[in-house]
Amino acid sequence: MIFGKTKLELKVGVFVFISLAILVIFLLSIGGFKTWSSGYRINVNFSFVNGVKVGAPVRFAGVDVGEVKKIHLEFVPEQSRSNVHLVIWIRDIIKIPSDSSVWVNTLGLLGEKYIEIIPGKDYVNCLKVNDYLTGVDPLPIHAIFNRAENIMRNLDEGLSQIRNKEGSLGKLIYEDNIYNELEAFMADVRKNPWKLFYKTKEKK
Amino acid sequence: MFMLPFIDLGRKVIGFLHFIGGLTNLAAQTVYLTFKPPYKYEHTIVQLKKAGYDSFPIVSVVALFIGFIFALQSAYFMQKLGSEMYIASLVALSIVRELGPVITALVVAGRVGASNTAELGSMQVTEQIDALETMATNPIKYLVVPRFVALGIMLPVLTLYANIIGILGGYLICVMKLGISSSMYMNITFDSLSFKDLFTGLFKAWIFGMLIALISCHEGFNVTGGAEGVGKATTRSVVFTFIMIIAADCFFTALFYFILT
Amino acid sequence: MIKIKELTKRFNNVLVLKDLNLDIQTGQTCVIIGRSGCGKSVLLKHIIGLLKPDKGKVLVDGKEVALMKELELTALRSKVSMVFQGGALFDSLNVAENVGFGLIEHTRINREELLERVEESLSMVGLGGIGNLAPSELSGGMKKRVALARAICIRPEIILYDEPTTGLDPINADSINELIRSLHDKLKVTSVVVTHDMKSAYHIADKIAMMYKGKIVLEGAPSEIQKTADPVVHQFINGLSKGPITEAIDTFK
Repeated sequence: MIFGKTKLELKVGVFVFISLAILVIFLLSIGGFKTWSSGYRINVNFSFVNGVKVGAPVRFAGVDVGEVKKIHLEFVPEQSRSNVHLVIWIRDIIKIPSDSSVWVNTLGLLGEKYIEIIPGKDYVNCLKVNDYLTGVDPLPIHAIFNRAENIMRNLDEGLSQIRNKEGSLGKLIYEDNIYNELEAFMADVRKNPWKLFYKTKEKK
Repeated sequence: MFMLPFIDLGRKVIGFLHFIGGLTNLAAQTVYLTFKPPYKYEHTIVQLKKAGYDSFPIVSVVALFIGFIFALQSAYFMQKLGSEMYIASLVALSIVRELGPVITALVVAGRVGASNTAELGSMQVTEQIDALETMATNPIKYLVVPRFVALGIMLPVLTLYANIIGILGGYLICVMKLGISSSMYMNITFDSLSFKDLFTGLFKAWIFGMLIALISCHEGFNVTGGAEGVGKATTRSVVFTFIMIIAADCFFTALFYFILT
Repeated sequence: MIKIKELTKRFNNVLVLKDLNLDIQTGQTCVIIGRSGCGKSVLLKHIIGLLKPDKGKVLVDGKEVALMKELELTALRSKVSMVFQGGALFDSLNVAENVGFGLIEHTRINREELLERVEESLSMVGLGGIGNLAPSELSGGMKKRVALARAICIRPEIILYDEPTTGLDPINADSINELIRSLHDKLKVTSVVVTHDMKSAYHIADKIAMMYKGKIVLEGAPSEIQKTADPVVHQFINGLSKGPITEAIDTFK
């Protein structure tokens, strides 16, 4: 190797070159449009985002068009509440009407959170760079529980009334004479079916 | 008599500390000499070819089979859930983050690390290393630095190949056997990957490469006792390298998990 | 000149060299004799700085080897070369690359000149034209001679030989002896030869030093050595199995 050249360098060169090509393929494919195309940023305010992370996809009319870039939690003294401020990156060619509604949605098996934008109708006023949208807050789990609890409580009340033979439903279920009456009526109808068609004379 | 196991254990601990110390010393000298001129390019290119080009066939075969296996194993479970499309992301993530670097490192440790130890070991027992020194050539500069540089470069390179071939293995199984469409497979694969996955994998590969070079050369330099010694040192070198690779992998995975979230 | 003062070295608590003193004049051929494993090679390795003494010092041209900085050590090693017992040729290089190794690594010599020097060195040891062979294709004797060619290729001022004739047939051994002599006569090379081949020692030596139990027990011209009354030296040079050397070991056992 000291005297005279061999094909070593060529072999190593080709080998490393191909690997660099693979690296470039990886980089381009992984980054996808996110890295290599231009876009603009808009702001969305939520008071609850249900665990959205930086990098979560943004879908407009169900199509991936961008991603969440930043998440700030800020306190708004005037309304005395916390506000979640999301910065969202959207591809250049996508026009978002200013009356679109935005919320956090959950995707598939893995429970990945993403930002769903349902297009509005107002295509005359589309969102521009750094415009604001207000998001529709997803229901937090505890709110759902609260509501379910209310429902359960009401149901429970009704059921206990029934069990205590109160109200018409309670009476219907627990009073024997309604059953007896019904049975007698059925027996009577079966014996004299014509009674069903018999129209008693109404006295005027 | 009953103290014997403890004495034995003590010896092992001291031996291990010697090993760590020697390795650190070698690492420091190697890094220093790597950046110190003169640069002997032609020794490095030989090692680059040995470590990279010559390891490519075996690395790619192993990576392809790992891709097959991973796709099939995850299909077993994913089909129960009815979500075969996630096999693509499972295969891609586990190969790029973990299996690509580790499998490549283990294969190269077995192939190149063992041959380094055997070569340096027999040079040691036939006094060739002393001879190098008497000819005013630093054995570390002449023997270790080219291997260190070559493995440090070639492990990430081989890992890139292993990644793409492993993903191809998963692709073949999913597209040919499980009826997932080709474009869907590729989309999900690259959607689930991020730059972080790729670069932490390659970073680990780089670390593994340097570990293989240092441990194998360290064991080679410390051979005593003729041909038998060379054999023992080679075995020890491969065993130590495997352990250190897995330990380093665990360490860096934890580091990336807790620091780079 | 080489001056060795009170050199002491131990390996794993075994004392190999013990307060060893020896002076070797410039241009002299000094043969160190002694039993196998008595530390002769260790002594050589101290002269070229492969081993560091536990105590005492080795001075080469007035400078202490153990205290040399890297650059000084490189300078030392470019004027001192060593011929190893088994040749220690680099397996991965061919014969010509082996012989020219020092020049390739340390000088910016051009290719033609390099090949010329290599060929010259090889023909001095009687092996012209084998530059393209690999070391594994050579016999033991040839390896030794190639190692010698490698040692003289850098045109050193001092050559250290570790058993240059051991394992060679008498004819090859004699040609090596002749070579050592002619290097000494023509190039005024200082030589330190470690051997237990007495024939070779008488043939090449200006001075013979007998090493025993980590010390030089006797030094002198070959004729003085031959006539010595010292029982240890007498036993060794005449190759007797009975005498103080073996007795000492037997009683020790």
